[in-house]
Amino acid sequence: MDGFKKRLSDSVQVRLSVALSLAILIVAVLAGMFAFVSALDEAHEMQDDTLRQVAILFDRQQMTLHYPATEKIAGDDEESRVIVQYLADSSKAAGNHDDSVIPLPFSTTLADGLSTLNIAGEDFRALVRTTARGERIVVAQETGVRDKEARESALRSLLPFLILFPVLLLVVSDLVHKLFRPIATLSDDLDRRDKQALHPIDEHHLPTEIRPFVVAINRLLARVAQSMETQRRFIADAAHELRSPMTALSLQAERLKATPMPTQAVERLLPLSCGIERSRKLIDQLLALAAAQSNAERPQTTVSVHEVYRRVLEDLLPLAERKNIDIGVEGTEDVQLVINEMDLLILVKNLVDNAIRYTPCGGRVDLSVALAQEIVILQVKDSGPGITADEQVRVFDPFYRSVGTEEAGSGLGLSIVRAIAERTGAGVRLSFSDETNKRGLCVSIELKRGSDQIPMYHSV
Amino acid sequence: MRILLVEDDPMIGDAIQGALSDASYATDWVKNGLTALSALQTQPYDLVLLDLGLPGKDGLDVLDSIRARNNPVPLLIITARDSLDDRLRGLDGGADDYLLKPFDMAELLARMRAVLRRNGGSAQSLLDNGVVALDLVSKQASTAENPDVQLSSREFALLQALLIRPGAILSRSELEDRLYGWGNEVESNAVEFLIHSLRRKLGNQVIKNVRGMGWMVSKSA
Repeated sequence: MDGFKKRLSDSVQVRLSVALSLAILIVAVLAGMFAFVSALDEAHEMQDDTLRQVAILFDRQQMTLHYPATEKIAGDDEESRVIVQYLADSSKAAGNHDDSVIPLPFSTTLADGLSTLNIAGEDFRALVRTTARGERIVVAQETGVRDKEARESALRSLLPFLILFPVLLLVVSDLVHKLFRPIATLSDDLDRRDKQALHPIDEHHLPTEIRPFVVAINRLLARVAQSMETQRRFIADAAHELRSPMTALSLQAERLKATPMPTQAVERLLPLSCGIERSRKLIDQLLALAAAQSNAERPQTTVSVHEVYRRVLEDLLPLAERKNIDIGVEGTEDVQLVINEMDLLILVKNLVDNAIRYTPCGGRVDLSVALAQEIVILQVKDSGPGITADEQVRVFDPFYRSVGTEEAGSGLGLSIVRAIAERTGAGVRLSFSDETNKRGLCVSIELKRGSDQIPMYHSV
Repeated sequence: MRILLVEDDPMIGDAIQGALSDASYATDWVKNGLTALSALQTQPYDLVLLDLGLPGKDGLDVLDSIRARNNPVPLLIITARDSLDDRLRGLDGGADDYLLKPFDMAELLARMRAVLRRNGGSAQSLLDNGVVALDLVSKQASTAENPDVQLSSREFALLQALLIRPGAILSRSELEDRLYGWGNEVESNAVEFLIHSLRRKLGNQVIKNVRGMGWMVSKSA
């Protein structure tokens, strides 16, 4: 019950349905009562009319009364029969307590007109009339049967209301539900939106009542988009501004390295250079992340995955060689897809960079590409420790580093991957390269091949 | 060699000037575009290093002014601006190369040498990646352990293809293109055979295999 009260106070839809239903109920009850009473009155009036017609008929045709013998006539029912007798005969019937035998003991002093009387223990509706011949007759009928018939006909007049009420309830609830559907669809649409999707809601097909609300939401979305853009630009600008001092710093350190120095100074210069190198890398990654997150339009071309792999390997091979890592591409089948080349290059480069970084010396990194029903699957597998299931969600957060890693990465690689994946509509899946031993990271990127049909070709 | 350095950041300018003088270049350092233009009018330079984010006159405008005067001086842009647009404007505007901050001094010096070499028009007679050097005239290759090894013409062609761009991976079909002319029938395994013999002559580390991609020589030792 509490739950219902809460729904009632929270939901306009429920409130509207309930209020409309109650209104229909009240109107139906009132109308029913009125119909019932008037139908009852009408029935009684008709019955009185019958008595009157009988009296007039009797008068006009100047009939004479013969009281029937006690034998029954087929179809005669004592309860519903109409009795006609001379009022004067009532005195003969004094002491008659059987209402089935006429004449009945009416009071002879009755005035002309309709009245309800109790005769011989039964209620009678009686009409007294003085005929043209000067005789006074009484036309009477038992009230019991009259009332029963009147009630029945009155109840029949209630029938339409009884049928209409549930039908109206159904119609109202359906109507209210339908009227609220645009709101439900709207909230569904908003719910299913990507977090980067801050484009305005289309307000043209919405009812005027909620349009101002949607317009306000659209304005809010625009403000949020703008502030996000400002924030992004700030990161980009900050990283950009850091470039000049970093350049000066690294150039100075490089010069210092070239000067003759005592061994101790050389030893101390090494970590300094490493730190500068790391900061430079971090700034580059910050800029790459800001660029990956920005919604600027990027031209799309047909890109060969193997060509991208080759460029990434050319860039990162020195890093792999330093750790004596066997890095290579599996399979000779190349796949072409329609995408912005820089996007794919940065995405693959970050994955391979990560793989090399987290694979121990002498390990192995494999790149591969496959095509399955217009979906291009790029995989980067390494022989490192892998990422456990509970860590898999968090590794995409900026600056997140696995516990116990000594690697001097920026912590932005997978954030950049995710930003690019979100923008290009690619899927990113993390798993183990060695499922049985739960070791080695395998990152799968699933991309739509693009609208154009491109013939596959072989290379190497 | 006389270099004009146009850079408004005192720390960077100081560092570059110092490093250039260490590398035996004579360097004039100016801090804005207008001074740079007047310096170029009064003094011939062998090379200009131009920053883009300059006060007063933007680097790209300085570049336009230099080229508008038909001054063919070799010019290298060094900048923190990394948008493709800036890069294209710089290169289309007549810059010989475009180097992004932050950079290593060694890279700046290498790019300067490359620009000077291109502009000097001197045909290179020696390809060198620090591990192996190839004499384009005598077709002799030299490593630290194996100096002056005579190569067959096919071996030479293959090593030359790799050494033109050290660090670049060339696939089998690309190497075959370099080895065989149009209409020549390609012998199967020819590339593997040549690489095998080159490694036998010069050592295993000279040519590296990248699994599934092709072969390369290292960028630097």
